Amino acid sequence: MSTVEASQPSEVATDTPVLEARNITVRFGGLVALSDVSLSVPSASIVGLVGPNGAGKTTLFGVVSGLLRPNQGDVFLAGKKVTGAAPAKRARLGLARTFQQLELFMGLTVREHVVLGYRVRAQRRRLWSDLFTAGALHPESSDEKERVDHLVKLLGLESVANTAASALPLGTARRVEVARALATGPSIVLLDEPSSGLDGHETAQLGAALRTVVEEEHVSLLLVEHDVAMVLGLSSEVAVLDFGVRIAYGTPDEIRNDPAVRAAYLGDDEAVEGVQTDEKA
Amino acid sequence: MLQFIVVGLVFGSIYALAASGLVITYVSTGVLNFAFGAFAFFIARFYYYIHVEKEWGILASAAVSLLVLAPFMGIFFYMVIFRFLRLSSQLIKVVVTIGLSVVMPVLAEIIFGNDEIFQAPGLAPQPVSVYKWFGTAVTLDQVISYACVIGIVILGFLILRFTEAGLSVRAMVDSEAMTSLSGSNPSRIAAGVWVVSMMLAGLSGILAAPVIGLSSAKYTLLIAAAFAAVIAARLRSLPIAVAVGLLMGVAGSLVQYYLPPDSEVTANIVPAIPFAFVTISLIVNIIRSGRVNEEEGVGGALDRAITPNGGSRLAASADSENLYPKFNFTFPIIIFAFFCILPLLFASYWLSIFVTAIALAVIFLSYTLVTGEGGMLWLCQITFAGVGALASAQFATEHGWPVLLAIVMGGVIAAAIGVVIGLLTIRLGNLYVALVTLTFGLLMERLVFNLQTFANFGQGVAISRPDFASTDKAFAYLGLAIFAIFAILIVNLRRSTTGLALNAVRWSENASRTMGLSVIQMKMLVSGLAAFVAGVGGGLYALSFKQAVPLDYATLLGLVWLAVLVTFGVRSNIAALVAGFMLLMPAAFIQTVLKLDSPWSLMPVLLFGLGAIGLAQNPEGVVRQNAMGFQRMIHKLSGARAVPAATAFAGRHDPRLRPDEPPPAPEPATTPEETAEVSGS
Repeated sequence: MSTVEASQPSEVATDTPVLEARNITVRFGGLVALSDVSLSVPSASIVGLVGPNGAGKTTLFGVVSGLLRPNQGDVFLAGKKVTGAAPAKRARLGLARTFQQLELFMGLTVREHVVLGYRVRAQRRRLWSDLFTAGALHPESSDEKERVDHLVKLLGLESVANTAASALPLGTARRVEVARALATGPSIVLLDEPSSGLDGHETAQLGAALRTVVEEEHVSLLLVEHDVAMVLGLSSEVAVLDFGVRIAYGTPDEIRNDPAVRAAYLGDDEAVEGVQTDEKA
Repeated sequence: MLQFIVVGLVFGSIYALAASGLVITYVSTGVLNFAFGAFAFFIARFYYYIHVEKEWGILASAAVSLLVLAPFMGIFFYMVIFRFLRLSSQLIKVVVTIGLSVVMPVLAEIIFGNDEIFQAPGLAPQPVSVYKWFGTAVTLDQVISYACVIGIVILGFLILRFTEAGLSVRAMVDSEAMTSLSGSNPSRIAAGVWVVSMMLAGLSGILAAPVIGLSSAKYTLLIAAAFAAVIAARLRSLPIAVAVGLLMGVAGSLVQYYLPPDSEVTANIVPAIPFAFVTISLIVNIIRSGRVNEEEGVGGALDRAITPNGGSRLAASADSENLYPKFNFTFPIIIFAFFCILPLLFASYWLSIFVTAIALAVIFLSYTLVTGEGGMLWLCQITFAGVGALASAQFATEHGWPVLLAIVMGGVIAAAIGVVIGLLTIRLGNLYVALVTLTFGLLMERLVFNLQTFANFGQGVAISRPDFASTDKAFAYLGLAIFAIFAILIVNLRRSTTGLALNAVRWSENASRTMGLSVIQMKMLVSGLAAFVAGVGGGLYALSFKQAVPLDYATLLGLVWLAVLVTFGVRSNIAALVAGFMLLMPAAFIQTVLKLDSPWSLMPVLLFGLGAIGLAQNPEGVVRQNAMGFQRMIHKLSGARAVPAATAFAGRHDPRLRPDEPPPAPEPATTPEETAEVSGS
């Protein structure tokens, strides 16, 4: 694990959270995956979500992004209720996400991932008009080129920009997912274990990139990570789930000292304290 | 009524046996065997050969057919073909089995002769004894059918539940990887499963012979109906497959009891019964779980982790991806220019075949769109071609429309149906889509194409070419122009934003949705476009004969077309052109110039079948592979740095395609585990 500095949002958060999950309950048959979980992410901030395996973190991501319907509770994006909205509609409202099990488009290059993300948001009409207007011959607009180049550089993907996603190592592939999510021009990005499979250097690079987008572009991040040190280092607030229940919520310092969290991570004090280790190096 | 149930149970027994054979090979080895009917026919034909033609006794003939030939075929085909398919996409698996379904009847014809056999004995001695049960006549053949199903069900249950072999099979169904780690040999188990499946194919084939005669087409149709039971069983449940198989047989018979005989309605409803079962079972499953996907519940976590690139989640994708990064247009343009010269060189007979080949190539482009670009495994493109042909003949001949407008309208109608089918199958996994579209094609063929308005006693409806293209030469150029327009459309599609989005949807629906793409819209788009191209191609195909004959658009023929196209390359436009040409011209050459009859006239079909089977080793197809070789040669000759094989043809190094080859080396500082993980996403 590597040490990352806490983000200092450059903008004062507005009153309305950019994302709010209220009293979410999800059951899979007899199993309660989430029980009455609430969470809110202020504007231009990083909120961490941690918990042991099976705690319900990815389920909560599924509910927030619209891939799962909760049995109870509601989801709000910038104050607008989207509980029943399709994932594509939520994306158009500014929600983007990455996946713990990578969901790259294996037939596209790295740059094409970012280009598609950009066009889906900024040039949506081209999804159809390209078909009838020889779209394959249209050159990139300067805005598109600038934005795509910026994101490719920000995530350190220049050397593999024209490589097919199927040929990428895991760490690079994770950064492509982040770049693709950011390309859609989101107000909030859900990052599901973005540092998984990254080495220490890559983790630090990713942490710096995430801080940059929060500070410069005022994007909010909801960050699920097994690398607790990274979460505590980056986030302004952290929620802890255990067995589908939110057992703690507060600043990184409060989380470090929370007995319930320590109990949940019994035997993993280093993780809770955010002590730097070299296990990834 | 009892008499109808007795008859229905015979069909039900055959469906049940076939469905069992299909389910066990699917759950154990991941291959849904579209050649099951062809294998059943081959073994039944062998049984007929030794029993009737060589006058062996029933027991000896049955023993040799079911206990020697069937196991041998199981082991042989497993060793030669099926074991290489483990990591292939569903498209390749389906096409390889379609190739086998083409090859087996041809082999049977070469070995046993091409006599049509309308009446063949089953396992009962001739003359067949007839018994009276509750006042109903039951033949010994029928009793044997029931006994076989009951015996197989009991034996299957006992073996699976109480023997070590059964335990191994059940373990492999749950997790091949864990089975392997536990010391069992998955290859041996898989070979055993194929042996059992072949024996079931042989048994159902021999039992079916007295009922339907010995015709490979009838066998394939019979087994296609059994696919409905397989779908109802969600591809995995043996008891449900058996029960639904029996139920379908009885339902088909009872419908004939309740409805007036010799009525067109009755004749139409009976073939629709499997489709009704498919529809009902899919609706029930979708209501219960929201989506029907063959991948659900398949394998354990370890299997998923070690399956390269998510395994068959890639399903209908044409395997080797990487878009078209280094591919230039030199090769396609040279080939197309060559085809443009051919009409000037051909004499009238060859030109008449050439125009049909070009029309066929246009239809093939619809496969390129829906399967090559859209990644959807549709088996009813020929039906859309038929819709286009029949509709344009109606518009042009019956209503006096200009023929080109009529053809466009035919395409529009096909597109509308394509969009509806796309919408109906949106929540289905690829294999289900394949089966549903196959069933839909068969249904259209029986319910719509057979209507007298279109069939006209088998003559079809005449359709005249436009005046400016009335000669074969002019029509050939019209066909080539339409082909070029569609080919350019496809190139533009795959290189535009639309193509990027389509590619995204194909690889990850979840990621596409969460980035704001509408999966439904994208699938509708490719469904509609492909059906339109097929419809227009169908119209051209009819124009090439100047007659729209429904029989030319038989669903099973469409499977052969798909196999031929995939053999040449399903993602290459120029492969569609070459495939259309190669499908017709060599056969005409053998028959006309070499004047060779059967079995030599069957050689092209046999070669295409073998070519499709060869996809197990070379999934990219002939044309694209040679195009890349050509490109490398040009680079070499021009002194430029050759396109490395790994870049130009990444598919060859894709572990999905070549399990025997190592995957490409990962970037430095990346562990093999990490590479496996990214592939497994």
